[in-house]
Amino acid sequence: MPPSICLRSFSQLSLDRSVHSLASRSRLSPHAACFSTSAARFANPSPKKGRVVAPPKRGQKTLNVKRGRKDPQGDVGKRPAPGERKAQRKRIVLRNDNALEVTALHDMAKATILSGLDEGRVLGIPENVVDALRAVEAFKPTQGWGLFWRPATLMRKETIQMAGLLKEVEESEEGQKKTIRRVLSGERLGGKSTLLLQGLTMAFLRNWVVINLPEGITDYPAAQDITNAHTEYAPLPGSQPTQYFQETYTANLLAQTLKANEPVLESINVTTNPSLPLPLPANATLKQLVELGAVNPEASWPVFLALWEELSVSGRPSILFALDGLSHIMKDSDYLSAEVKPIHAHDLTLIRHFIDCLSGQKSLPNGGVILAATSRSNCPSSSALEHSIQVAEQLQRDPNNLLHYNPYKKVDQRVMDALKDLRDPEAKGLDVIKVGGLSKDEARSIMEYYAESGMLRAKVDDGFVSEKWSLAGMGNIGELERASVRQRI
Amino acid sequence: MVFIFGFNFTEQTLVKRSLETFYGIGPKVSQRIMARFHIQPWAKVGSLKNSTVMDLTAELSEMKIENDLRREVQDNIRRLKDMGTYRGRRHAMGLPVRGQRTRTQIATARRLNKIERGGSGRVQM
Repeated sequence: MPPSICLRSFSQLSLDRSVHSLASRSRLSPHAACFSTSAARFANPSPKKGRVVAPPKRGQKTLNVKRGRKDPQGDVGKRPAPGERKAQRKRIVLRNDNALEVTALHDMAKATILSGLDEGRVLGIPENVVDALRAVEAFKPTQGWGLFWRPATLMRKETIQMAGLLKEVEESEEGQKKTIRRVLSGERLGGKSTLLLQGLTMAFLRNWVVINLPEGITDYPAAQDITNAHTEYAPLPGSQPTQYFQETYTANLLAQTLKANEPVLESINVTTNPSLPLPLPANATLKQLVELGAVNPEASWPVFLALWEELSVSGRPSILFALDGLSHIMKDSDYLSAEVKPIHAHDLTLIRHFIDCLSGQKSLPNGGVILAATSRSNCPSSSALEHSIQVAEQLQRDPNNLLHYNPYKKVDQRVMDALKDLRDPEAKGLDVIKVGGLSKDEARSIMEYYAESGMLRAKVDDGFVSEKWSLAGMGNIGELERASVRQRI
Repeated sequence: MVFIFGFNFTEQTLVKRSLETFYGIGPKVSQRIMARFHIQPWAKVGSLKNSTVMDLTAELSEMKIENDLRREVQDNIRRLKDMGTYRGRRHAMGLPVRGQRTRTQIATARRLNKIERGGSGRVQM
């Protein structure tokens, strides 16, 4: 039963006094002012909606703030120029002036980056590499670079694994250089694209030639823009079955590659005699060759092939060929052939080239790493790709218990063939790097970095780290950042 | 400004859209034409090469579009009418031709069913 004092205060609030008997009114101290907003509400009844308000009397000034059709000026607000809003949305911010500079932060160094000694530490990305990474569009606007003073990444277990791959390639014997091929898979926000970026960073530091096909969150060229029919295409003369090349896309890719790899390309002279539609000056460097393709889109594809040929001459640097958003190239593209049939993505020359490298048909004479990152948020469904990755993950866990393809799903045989090595327990070249959750030590390391940057105002101790680690779904790094830096309660 | 089939289009017009302004070219036909000349669906008129524009114009001039097509449609209707068929009469009266009810909802028939059937396009008869 509720206490009587409560009942009394309710009865005071009641507006209808007539319900109370005279006796009760006297008993319940009617003179106390009861809390009510009714008086104010009923004192000045506002005019009902829909009732026409009388026009102001003559000579009376009224305030009219509405801008109607009669207004001579109309809306004078400045409209954004075409593309301005998109540019704003897709802008890559790599610096937060309000964050604290972490003085103890070391850069990744050329000498030590492949040693694997930095496991579990947060390392900064050197200034010149940041420019190169920006040029190949390795940063994404959805990643949290703009929260910190300067770009830095955690050297997690998978990063060390990646460094090991690069080291393996560099240490393999001259003449039998290794080509290592990996697919990055894992949960959403798990750090696949960041791991790819770390791979690119290491390759830049070790003076490799880096060619990157970004996912295309920012601007084209991008993996999704290769296939979504937004750039020019034309059949490649003399190809059987017909292949299609994309001159604008390839030219753009060459321009980006040149910008990112300028010092390396400048130091190498053209030694083969490429047959190009445009004349190349005598004793040209690779830089001049690539420039030729970047400026003249019609020559871009032959120039790309010539560049590849040049880089295959022995003694040249190793290559890192990377792509983000693998599922975009594992389906029919949106382009149409002359017979109005969809063109499979693997019939586009650039993708054909990448797939040949990934499937192992083409190997790199000077060694190299082929990386393909999958995406979980921007991915067209490709059941063949999903199945291949699942089988590869299963092979790593338990090789005796293989998965079978769901017979009720449509199979893309070309994708199945391209990813054959993923499902083959014997094949060693192509494998999956599963980007899982962080360990608690790694989580602690990155959270200490958050705290030192002034973005996390809490005492980072075991209990706190465990809590955030659990909240982030067993250390999913994107969720960890969300839970500790982005979320403000 | 780019001239296709004798008409000029601003450079930022989509090729698909500019083709579909002609009487007799709809989504399917424009898709077929563009696939034939390897023009991507989102191409703008300004990005076309000169040779492609010439090819397009040549292709369009071989097709039965605009007034040729209108004339054919009108001839077909006139033939029906001259024979005195029911369909011809219904066309002449501006009423539904294929047995629809006429108690309500014949606005489309009133708008379209006439002897001088023309439709929209770049050229008027």
